[in-house]
Amino acid sequence: MISQNALHHAEKCRFCFMCRHLCPVQLQTGREINTPRAKGLVLSMVSKGAEAYDQAMAQTMYECLLCDACVNDCATGYQPPIYIREARTEAVVNDIAPAEVMALIENIEATGNIYGMEKPSFAQNGEEILVYLGEVASCKEEGMVKSFLQLLQKAGVSAKVLENEPASGAMLGDLMGYVDEVVQQAKACTAAINQTGLKTVVVLDSYDVQIMKQKYPEWGCEIQADVITATAYIAQLLESGKLQVANVNRGLAACHDDDRLARTFYEFAPIRAIAKAAGFEVTEMFNKERLAKSCGSAVALAYMPKIVTQIAAGRWEDLMRTEAKIMVTANPQAYLCLSQAIPEGYQLVDAYTALLSNLK
Amino acid sequence: MFRILVCVKAIPNTTEVSFDADGKLQRSSAELQWNVADLAALEAALTLRTPESTVTVLTMGPQKLEMPLKELLARGADEAILITDKSLAGSDTYATARVLAAAVEKLGGFDLILCGKQSLDGDTGQIPGMLAAALNMTCITNTENLAVSNQQCALDRILEKGIQKLTLDLPCVVSVQPYAYTLRLPGIMAMRKAREKTVLMLNTQDLDLSPETCGQSGSLTKVVKIHPMRHGHRNGPKEADLAVGTARILTLLKEVK
Repeated sequence: MISQNALHHAEKCRFCFMCRHLCPVQLQTGREINTPRAKGLVLSMVSKGAEAYDQAMAQTMYECLLCDACVNDCATGYQPPIYIREARTEAVVNDIAPAEVMALIENIEATGNIYGMEKPSFAQNGEEILVYLGEVASCKEEGMVKSFLQLLQKAGVSAKVLENEPASGAMLGDLMGYVDEVVQQAKACTAAINQTGLKTVVVLDSYDVQIMKQKYPEWGCEIQADVITATAYIAQLLESGKLQVANVNRGLAACHDDDRLARTFYEFAPIRAIAKAAGFEVTEMFNKERLAKSCGSAVALAYMPKIVTQIAAGRWEDLMRTEAKIMVTANPQAYLCLSQAIPEGYQLVDAYTALLSNLK
Repeated sequence: MFRILVCVKAIPNTTEVSFDADGKLQRSSAELQWNVADLAALEAALTLRTPESTVTVLTMGPQKLEMPLKELLARGADEAILITDKSLAGSDTYATARVLAAAVEKLGGFDLILCGKQSLDGDTGQIPGMLAAALNMTCITNTENLAVSNQQCALDRILEKGIQKLTLDLPCVVSVQPYAYTLRLPGIMAMRKAREKTVLMLNTQDLDLSPETCGQSGSLTKVVKIHPMRHGHRNGPKEADLAVGTARILTLLKEVK
C-alpha cells in the first residue's frame, strides 16, 4: 500500500546518477541496490506487480540513513526518503522487516527507547528553559549531556530537564515510517513539553528537532514554545557574553556538519562558533555544510552496526584529506557513530565538553 | 448506533492527466488519488465518531479502487463500499448523485452524510446538494467545526463575508471544507486489520437501477469538448502608452468579432 505520492517520488527518477555519488551507504557498500534510485525502481516494480515485496527487498529499504543527501542533490527535486519510509511501514505491516529492526521497535514499545534500557535521569527543575535531551544522548552520551548542562549552569541559565522525558517519535519514525504510532508519541511529547509552561525548548539531538519542527505541525502537535537547537542556543550564549572563553589554541580541527541540521535547517555556523570558542582553529572537509556526508545514525547503528561503522570510517577518511587530526561534533548520534571508527592518531571531540574546558 | 457515511471520489492526479483527440479527459491513463476535500470529510467523520457510532466510506468508480479503499479503512473507517459497474461510465453529477442516493437508500439508516466541498477534477461542488435533494434531506455546504449531539449537527458554514453558525436536525448532508481537517495517519495494527477486511462491492443491479438512468444515458449534461488553455500567449509587444494600448485592444477585439 505505497501511496501515490510516494510512488510519484519513486518513479520520476531520470537516472542522472547524482544520488549514486552521494549516498553514504552506497559509497561504502558499493552495492547498486543501495542507491536511492535503485530503491525507487524496486518499489515501482512492486507497485506494478512485477515483483513481490519480500524480506530481501525490505532489508534494502533499511539500508538507508534517511540523511537527505539524495534529496539535497536530486536534479528533479524528488525525495527518496518519502518512499523509503513508506516501504518500511509496508515491511513492518507485512512482518518482513529485518529481525534486528523489529527488536528495536519492541524495545521502544517496552521502554520508550531503542536500547530497551531504563533511561538515566538528568532531571533538573530550572525555570528559564526546558532542555530536551533525546534518548540517544540520555542513554549513550552521558558525558555530552553533563557538559551541556554545566555550560548552561555556567552561563546562569536556569534549565529544566524532565524526569521522564517522552520519546519525540524520531526513532520510531525512522524505523516504521510516519504512522499513527509515531503521531501518538509526538502528541505525548508535545503535551509533556507544554505542561512545563516554559517558552523555550532547547533540543540537543537534531533528529528530535527535525521531527518537532517539520512533522509535529502537520500532525496538529503544537509546541507552545520556541524550539531551538542546542548548538544555536550555546552560540547565542557565546555571542551575548554569558559564556566567556580563554584564549587557548588547541590546534586544527574540522567540524562534522550534522546532516539533519545542515540539510533541513541550513544550520552550519553555530557548531563552528562553538569549536572556535573551544580553542580550535577550524578547517573544512570537502563534504561540508549541505553537502556533508552522513556518518550514520544511532538507530541505523543499532540494526546494522557493521555498515554504519564503515560509513563512520568513510567520514574519517574525509577528515584525513585535510590537515586536521581532530573532528568536532555536537550531535550525540554523530558522536556515537564516529566513535566506532576513530583512526589511530585522530581524535573525536564533543563540542560542549571542549567548550566547557575552555571557559574562563 | 449512530451511522456516518462519507462519500469519497478518486480523481486523476492533476499533474498526470491527458486528453484524447476530442479533448476528453483520459481517466484510465492517469493515476488515481482520493480527492483532498473528501479526505477532510472522512477526518471530520472520524473526529465525530464515538464508541456508539460507525463511519462508512462510499465511492463509485473502477474495481481497482478496492485497495485504495482499504487504505481508508486503515485510516479509521469501519467499512467501505464500492459501486462499480461499466454502465456507470460517463455519469455526470446528476447521474452520480442518483446512484449514490440509491446506495444510501439500499444500505439505509445513515444519520449524517458527509461529502468534500468539491472535487479537484470536475470542480462543480454539485454532488452534496443533488444527493440531499434525491434523499429529501437538508444540505449545508462549505463547512467546518462539526459537532453532533441530541440528533443535531452543529457546524460553521464558511461564507464569503463571514462564518454562519448553524444547527441542523439529522439526518442531513454536509459538505466539508478541504483544509478544515487533515486525515490522520494509519497505524500499523490498523493497516494489518484493514487488509483482512472486505470492501462491499455493489453494481447497478444490486441498487435496482435501470441502465437508462445510469452513465451517459442517465446524465443531463454532456462534456462535448475540453479546450486546453494556452499559457503565455501574447499578441504583440507590451504597450506603455495608454492611448496606443487602448487602440490596439480595440483593433484586436474587432479582429476577433
